[in-house]
Amino acid sequence: MLKMTHLSKVYRTEVVETYALRDFNIDVKEGEFVAVTGPSGSGKTTFLTIAGLLETFTGGHYHLDGIEVSQLNDNARSKIRNEKIGFIFQAFNLIPDLNVYDNVEVPLRYRGMKGAERKQRIMDALERVGLASRAKHYPAELSGGQQQRVAIARALAGSPRLLLADEPTGNLDTQMARGVMELLEEIHREGATIVMVTHDPELAARAQRNVHIIDGQVVDLSEEPRFHAQNARVADA
Amino acid sequence: MMQIKPILAALKRHKAGTVLIALQIALTLAIVCNALFIIRQRTEHLSRPTGLTESNLLAVSNRWVGADGKATESLTETDLAALRQQAGVADATMINSYPLRGGGWSLGADTKPSDKDNVRRPTAQTTLYFTDEHALSTMGLKLVGGRNFRPEEVRWVDPRDFETNVPVIVSQALATKLYPDGHALGKPVYLSSTKPATIIGIVERLQVPWTGNWAANFAENSVLLPFLLQGNFGNYLVRTRPGEMARMTKAVPALLFKTNRMRVIPEERGVRTFAEVREQAYKSDRGMAILMGVVCAVLLAITAAGIVGLTSFWVGQRRKQIGVRRALGATRHDILSYFLTENLLIGAGGVIVGAALAIGMNLWLVSHFEMERLSLAYVAVGVIALLLLGQGAVLAPAMKASRVPPVEATRSV
Ligand SMILES: Nc1ncnc2c1ncn2[C@@H]1O[C@H](COP(=O)(O)OP(=O)(O)O)[C@@H](O)[C@H]1O
Ligand SMILES: [Mg+2]
Repeated sequence: MLKMTHLSKVYRTEVVETYALRDFNIDVKEGEFVAVTGPSGSGKTTFLTIAGLLETFTGGHYHLDGIEVSQLNDNARSKIRNEKIGFIFQAFNLIPDLNVYDNVEVPLRYRGMKGAERKQRIMDALERVGLASRAKHYPAELSGGQQQRVAIARALAGSPRLLLADEPTGNLDTQMARGVMELLEEIHREGATIVMVTHDPELAARAQRNVHIIDGQVVDLSEEPRFHAQNARVADA
Repeated sequence: MMQIKPILAALKRHKAGTVLIALQIALTLAIVCNALFIIRQRTEHLSRPTGLTESNLLAVSNRWVGADGKATESLTETDLAALRQQAGVADATMINSYPLRGGGWSLGADTKPSDKDNVRRPTAQTTLYFTDEHALSTMGLKLVGGRNFRPEEVRWVDPRDFETNVPVIVSQALATKLYPDGHALGKPVYLSSTKPATIIGIVERLQVPWTGNWAANFAENSVLLPFLLQGNFGNYLVRTRPGEMARMTKAVPALLFKTNRMRVIPEERGVRTFAEVREQAYKSDRGMAILMGVVCAVLLAITAAGIVGLTSFWVGQRRKQIGVRRALGATRHDILSYFLTENLLIGAGGVIVGAALAIGMNLWLVSHFEMERLSLAYVAVGVIALLLLGQGAVLAPAMKASRVPPVEATRSV
């Protein structure tokens, strides 16, 4: 589903060049639930923005769903983001001027979906995150946990194959975090591929596979056996 | 266009800015429509012909010192004889006023004896020019019917006491107004009097002395009477020979002073070429038109600047949400069209209010001043112009918005 080989990302400023990622290799299979951990500044967000086509990279290769993405122009990248990828951000990133319903509708409108289908999908998604009754509320009127569930509904409504979450529970208390995690697990069980950056070891442990990033590189924490075992389980099922 | 509903929903959360810009657009539309309409009205008559052959024509204003009434008759006759003998002068005449001069004589003209109690409105309003048989050739008027005055028909009269039962020459416009059937020659015309004048000649065109709107409905109704008015004040019109204009402008006053020193010819406007007469007559109209044009331009610039300013502010404020929209699949074009559509919606609100305001403003002007009803074409053109202005003004900030990268969504605020 998502394969990066020898990928590098350099941020250049006038004075310094920062290698946010270097010789970065990862292969996420369709249907996997991968947790990404690592110290602050190690390159986790950078990895996710490149994976989600929010940013370009400096060197190496990235294949998303079999497509070499460095060949794609801005419009094609927008279309892939819109149709294949769902984003969940640490800061929720709901649009403050729009109510819950209109927020969930945003990606569906960019897809050019018909009104009736949009409505069906929005209400289904809100139903799933348990916020159908808050459709007319504005983000500022909701708690952090509720806002993140709206963001998940927004990501879900478009039925993405790949869900990218950058510390989705980072701004939430433990109880709310568990609720969000349960929702992600449920989505995963329905077939979506999920890559989630987290600082929380408890949540990371609940993923199928952990990837650790240090200094812009994936490091082997001798998790290979567990990784293989889990993969095998998925394959058996 | 499929974004209209959410754009409106978002605008509801930014009422203050939205309403301010819409109101600015509305006011600009109302003022610009009316100002352009007034400019049109003020300038459309700038090129109106007087009926005179305006080249090689000098206007001299003369005031006798120490002579008045009947005594001025011989003095004036001496002046006119001297002028007509001057090499470089083709002809000269005395007249109480002339087109574009600003002041003159006006009264009602009728085909029936005038009604002393003014119960019935006269058929037409007209100006009276008191002059002699040299008027036609001096002014360069075109006689299209009948004849000129004969020397023996011209008389000196006291301006406070005369009867108008004399042969007169009228302008074509007045002749047609009085006798729409086209047979005015030889017919009577009552000039606020019970005794008729007789139309002996018709000139193609002769404008009244006034250029204001109040005189617009009788701007070309003129009567020439074969009277020279006694009194210490009079105007000479002098037609110079071709190429002699510059020389005569100095020679004519010199000649007059040589003939008789007991006179005043004002420094200012005492001797004017007809080009100067025309220029001065329309000076305030032209000035007003320029002023209003500048006001319009400034207003439009301020409105455009307001739109650029507000949109730039909004784009800056919404960088994050633009990034989020891009992350969720918006193309650059989607972002560009978001801001263009948003501006169009605000603009539409503005021009709807503005069109009503423009018409209201005009109705007020109509009821308080001499103004005509605003043509709706002005409103239509104004509406389109302001919508285009808005789209033009919003383009740069909207382009800037469309270049916000999707990664902006991940940046913490
Ligand atoms: N836009 C940027 N410009 C310059 N340097 C950046 C930029 N974004 C990230 N970096 C740098 O890249 C490195 C990785 O950052 P990031 O991916 O945000 O780490 P993490 O999410 O693991 O905390 C850091 O050293 C960071 O300072
Ligand atoms: Mg990060």
